[in-house]
Amino acid sequence: MIHVKVTVRFFARFGELLGNTQEIEAREGISVADLVKEAASGNKAGYDTIFDEEGAFRDFVIVMRNKKRIRSQDAGSIPVGEGDEIAVFPPVAGG
Amino acid sequence: MLFGEEGQEQLQEATIFIAGAGGLGSPVSIYLAVLGVGTLIIADNDRVDQTNLNRQILYRDQDIGRRKAAVAGERLQEVNPDIMVKAVDATIDQHTVSSLTRDADGIVDALDDFPTRYLLNKAALEKGIPLFHGGISGFFGQATTILPGKTPCLRCIIPQPPPAEVFPVAGVTAGFIGLIQATEVCKYLLCRGDLLAGRLLLWDGIQGRIEEIPVETDPDCEACAGKCRGMS
Repeated sequence: MIHVKVTVRFFARFGELLGNTQEIEAREGISVADLVKEAASGNKAGYDTIFDEEGAFRDFVIVMRNKKRIRSQDAGSIPVGEGDEIAVFPPVAGG
Repeated sequence: MLFGEEGQEQLQEATIFIAGAGGLGSPVSIYLAVLGVGTLIIADNDRVDQTNLNRQILYRDQDIGRRKAAVAGERLQEVNPDIMVKAVDATIDQHTVSSLTRDADGIVDALDDFPTRYLLNKAALEKGIPLFHGGISGFFGQATTILPGKTPCLRCIIPQPPPAEVFPVAGVTAGFIGLIQATEVCKYLLCRGDLLAGRLLLWDGIQGRIEEIPVETDPDCEACAGKCRGMS
């Protein structure tokens, strides 16, 4: 199986739970959503903060691919490529 | 003078509405007051609580139990008697937002909930005045400046409200993000420098890192319907 090297970055609370940066060798053709699930799979609290019960991104979560935002509902159909950087962050609401 | 007489006059002639007199509203209002912004309107509907005092630096121990608007008005007038301070004890909602922002040249978002932030966003779009957004949680924060017609609006950037915060805010985070907002107001009023327009600044106080991400207009945005141009 061919693999691609990608970087997943988690910000703020996501980073506290999952680590700020993960370098991952993922199978070629994996979607952005599945890649983030894989990166978050080691910590249930972190995973549940990002994904809902159906495994979809929670609607407030912002997902970026190579510094460009992608709609989280499209992340399941967008494949990652060699050297991609995926960033996932939660806007915060306090004031 | 750092800004020259002309700059100071520009500040003196300005009216800024600060929505919320809490963690962000405290440093924003104090610094805009000492900066010499001529008229500050600040609104809050709460009372001072002991748990506020780690970050809401407008208030002191002896203020516990008093209305925030009343205390904020007194304190800001103390720090600069030469400006006009209008402290309003009111809830910001769909009925009051229009009158509260009527005379404003800019709106500072110092709130702690997104539904009300979206009302400010709508008011800023309708009036064509900037919205200086800030949000905080723990040691994390974000800030951006929305210029109607030129940048994505708040709803383009954050279309769905994040859950209400359950983590306490570190006082220093309120100070950090609040002063970024105040700096943006200052630059906007003086027409200086590069605003955080079309850019969302992310502060991670734990890591000691600042990142910024470009933001884009959402053509399906329910607030601006994509009419705000993206700058990214």
